[in-house]
Amino acid sequence: MTMRIFLLLGTLIVIVLLPQFLAPFHIRVVQLFFFTAALALAWNVMGGLAGYWSFGHTVFIGIGAFAAAHFVAKLGLPAGPLQMIAGIVFGALFCGIVAAIIAYPILRLRGIYFAIAMLGIGQVAAELANNVGWFQGDVGLFLETALPDGVEPERFFYYVFAGLFLFTWMVSLVVMRSRFGYGLLAIREDEDTAKMLGVPTEQIKAFGFTISAVLVGMLGATYAYSLGYFTASSVFRIDFSLNMIIYCLIGGIGTLAGPVVGAALMLLLTQIILGQLLELHLLATGLVVILIVLTLPNGVMGLVGGEAFRRRFSMRAGGKAR
Amino acid sequence: MRDPNFSDRQAMLIIQTALNGLVLGGVYSLAAVGFSLIFGALGIVNLTHGIFVICGAYAAMVLFHVFGIDPFLATVPVAIAFFFIGYAYQRGLIQVAISRASLVASLLVTFGVALIMRNLLQLVFSPDVRTITPSYSFSSLTFGSLRIDIVRLIAVLVSIVFLLLMALVLSKTAFGRRIRATAQQPLAANLSGVNVPHVLGQTFGLGAAFAAASGAVLGIVQPFSPSSEDFWTLNAFIVVVLGGVGSPSGALLGGILLGLISSFTAQFIGPSYTNAVMFLVLVIMLLIRPQGLLGSAFGESR
Repeated sequence: MTMRIFLLLGTLIVIVLLPQFLAPFHIRVVQLFFFTAALALAWNVMGGLAGYWSFGHTVFIGIGAFAAAHFVAKLGLPAGPLQMIAGIVFGALFCGIVAAIIAYPILRLRGIYFAIAMLGIGQVAAELANNVGWFQGDVGLFLETALPDGVEPERFFYYVFAGLFLFTWMVSLVVMRSRFGYGLLAIREDEDTAKMLGVPTEQIKAFGFTISAVLVGMLGATYAYSLGYFTASSVFRIDFSLNMIIYCLIGGIGTLAGPVVGAALMLLLTQIILGQLLELHLLATGLVVILIVLTLPNGVMGLVGGEAFRRRFSMRAGGKAR
Repeated sequence: MRDPNFSDRQAMLIIQTALNGLVLGGVYSLAAVGFSLIFGALGIVNLTHGIFVICGAYAAMVLFHVFGIDPFLATVPVAIAFFFIGYAYQRGLIQVAISRASLVASLLVTFGVALIMRNLLQLVFSPDVRTITPSYSFSSLTFGSLRIDIVRLIAVLVSIVFLLLMALVLSKTAFGRRIRATAQQPLAANLSGVNVPHVLGQTFGLGAAFAAASGAVLGIVQPFSPSSEDFWTLNAFIVVVLGGVGSPSGALLGGILLGLISSFTAQFIGPSYTNAVMFLVLVIMLLIRPQGLLGSAFGESR
């Protein structure tokens, strides 16, 4: 136990001090890591634990961003830390409401049909945000950030995303340790049996979906703040959806460390090592995905986890195709 | 003051839109039938499908510009080549991934290959939008005030011929019977002497061949670029969800519905809403009848 506390404190100190030693570009990379790792963790609540693979989770990034921007604009809140917090909280809550509403119809679908339905919802939301004048998705929206004096934006958002990452991590940890988390796992292993044994699968799925959406919406609203100006196509991005899945798979789906490890590995590879080879970016990502599936079907965490781990968390168990 | 001919012209507009939708739908059907076969028989959601379609279009373009082969004739060599490519791809990569991880892993592997191929196509052919323009591509037929491009008419006819061919192969030949048997009960098929892995590879090859052939046809009708591949994958999925999995008739029904939906949306709601309406229909369809209007062709024993 004391080990863990020291580990946690050590991590915190590293996170706090790291920007002092990094160039602005690398601060941005680490900031991106916090953002994408948190997204992957949020996806993992539904995709990893319950085996419901959403292929359109970016819809909540977009809804979070749009809700936050319209909320602060309609209320005419002055730019400042309070406005930012209000926007992010509203974006997150709004995503939660949307998720709770669509949860019942959409979660009746399983496997690939759920995945594609989410993809469809993502596309519909993106097109509507882009084409319905009221949303202003085509001309774009502004979200002003009031930076504290003497702090560069990359450093400010580094700390903001670090905080949100830790928050998402804590939520994931609590979910995984809770009875509710075991309910999600039971759904992944065999939904019908779980239901027969008295697990309230409908409520658990809806709740898990909502939690996942709230976390993604919070991150999405913050992402919009970090951009300052965004359009529909900069938040409803299909590559966000796919990256959430890929990071989880590479690290180890359904685990706590997996999504984080996966995000770190892929960002290291694509941003740092392949940063010069922009033309071959897709090719390299594709190769890595194929190699991981062929060589590490349980993700990187499957290497260190041993047999017990493999039995509990693996790609074999997750996301049945039909 | 209302134009006395208003309702007449309105009716003509509706008929013209329906005609456009039917023509578009015929081509969509051909583009989706390979995806449908692979999804129905192997249970694989082939995210490389759009790549097959686009590769077919590029292959037809190269054949047209280098050897002067008419794109409609090019469907045959392109289809034959992609049968073997598809077979090798399924046996060499997809089957390996499925046996090592799970059926879901096939999603990731096909996605990975799609990324790689898209990148390679961009490097080889540049990311520019292309079209294939044979000499007859700007002529059209007119019936009264209705108008239809000759290329589109030929494209629909070729699509229907291909769909009939697929239906005949599946229902009448020994090869088709092996495919259906394997799709329904792999174990029983194996016990009856069917070489199941071989048939799975052949089925995938057949799907790839039809996808590439449709690409050759599409290249004349619509502009294409490496990044339009995901459009064709999603389109195929929508067609399958609308019509039903695994059968040419399901693909035809779904394709025509999709064609009508997109042409009517473009005409009466606005061209920028076609995708939104298409996906809305997809989601609603998934919720009320996920097996499609005609149901699964291989579903009897599952």
